[in-house]
Amino acid sequence: MKEAEKVFIGGLKEELIEDKVIDESQLEPGLAEEIIKFGGKDVMTCLQCGNCTGVCPISLKIDYKTRNIIKCCQFGLKKYIFGTRWVCATCYRCYEHCPADLNPAEVMIALRHIAVREGIIPPFVKTAATNLVRYGQSVRPDEEIDKIRKELGLAVVHTHDEGFKSVIREIQVLVHASKYDKLIGIQEEIKV
Amino acid sequence: MTIASNSYLYFFGCVIPNRYPGIEYAVRWVTGKDGFDLDVKDHREFSCCPVPGIFYSTDKDTWLLLASRNLVLAQDERRQIMTVCNGCLASLSKATEYLQDPKMMGKVNRTLAQIGKKYTGIPVRTEGKRRVVEPVKVRHYVDVMTRDVGLDAIKEKTKHPLKNIRVAVHYGCHYLRPTEHAAFDDPNDPVMIDKIVEACGATSVDYDDRLDCCGAGGGVRSHVVDLANALTQDKCIKISAAGADCIVTGCPFCLLQFDNAQMSFMKEGIPVMHVSQLQALAMGIDPISLGFDTHHVSAHSFLRKLRGH
Repeated sequence: MKEAEKVFIGGLKEELIEDKVIDESQLEPGLAEEIIKFGGKDVMTCLQCGNCTGVCPISLKIDYKTRNIIKCCQFGLKKYIFGTRWVCATCYRCYEHCPADLNPAEVMIALRHIAVREGIIPPFVKTAATNLVRYGQSVRPDEEIDKIRKELGLAVVHTHDEGFKSVIREIQVLVHASKYDKLIGIQEEIKV
Repeated sequence: MTIASNSYLYFFGCVIPNRYPGIEYAVRWVTGKDGFDLDVKDHREFSCCPVPGIFYSTDKDTWLLLASRNLVLAQDERRQIMTVCNGCLASLSKATEYLQDPKMMGKVNRTLAQIGKKYTGIPVRTEGKRRVVEPVKVRHYVDVMTRDVGLDAIKEKTKHPLKNIRVAVHYGCHYLRPTEHAAFDDPNDPVMIDKIVEACGATSVDYDDRLDCCGAGGGVRSHVVDLANALTQDKCIKISAAGADCIVTGCPFCLLQFDNAQMSFMKEGIPVMHVSQLQALAMGIDPISLGFDTHHVSAHSFLRKLRGH
């Protein structure tokens, strides 16, 4: 009997990692150390118990199995990991349930660090970073809301203050000092 | 100089001032002269916290620098930061923990020197020649309300108890987890928002999987909006099954997600509001000041029920 196929959001089908052919040429053994460098714990301590997948709200909806991703990290199978979309909600449920005291959410964050350094930058990151160095906020100010603020008798948002220009300058200095502008590709926004 | 025990700085973040000004109004009103008259003021130089889903996810060094800049401002004022958002709470309190490490603090301060700032923590007393410093305190609005203001005071100020109103409380992930950060409430069975709701005279209804994620955090809403909305839909089904009149949350980003997502799968959604807005209603504010017109889901049905129609 053929098993029913699970289809997830966006037409994604469930793919089992066990079905994939993996040969040594695809593996990058240094990945575990790289994850530690970016603040994740040692993925080699993962027991593959699957608690993280069981409690992950995202894994119910799409082909994203936390345990699989950790397994791939152990192997250094970057290709598979970076093919998965950037979908961890960082709800930290996996961390609370992990018997090995690994923090899968922080591993995902370390993976994002690595991905960004390999040039895989989701557009919304660029937008938020641009907003930050332009307005000092990650959310762009909205004219309609500004009108409503006025009606309510609230002061204008900080961005519109004359004095806030020096704050934006400070932010730009910091973003430039940590080379974040180059990393994300927003150099032209920075006037230091 | 010692820190005044209960003096705060408002930290509204990005979403509230630019998307839901009604929440800002409610918080100012509840904490101001018409409400509990707390010792709280603005700091016009606060920037984005910065958002954990973007900056903590892509470059921790930049994230820590920008968060430290905000912490320095509070440190120089000798005041606690009162955030009204779970994201700001997570970002800033995590930064204070990072800065406990002297090496990390030194590294941050070397860069902060470029803008003439230095993080030291707040000196609380001297022991011999040694100054004892404490990290800048970052508190959530709900935490301040329950532990500093107190539920009795909230009950006392409730002029118009919200009788017959059934509320579904949504805490949001970064209020609860990771557990070591959110130590002010029980992460597995949080009660603070429920208690505030009850103190306002409303009923907090139980529903399935109430501690589940709204779906928006960590960049999911920005990246795959369908996925975020699917998670919200699951929650909303459970909330309507419990017969709630409104959803109350302590996080404006969860609020934004509930408010926007419901339009994608429901004709008439369940109104969503911040806990401060509910409090302000119980304390007798004119609902027109709460900016419900900036919410996508109309609060009309809720306000009608409130007036007893």
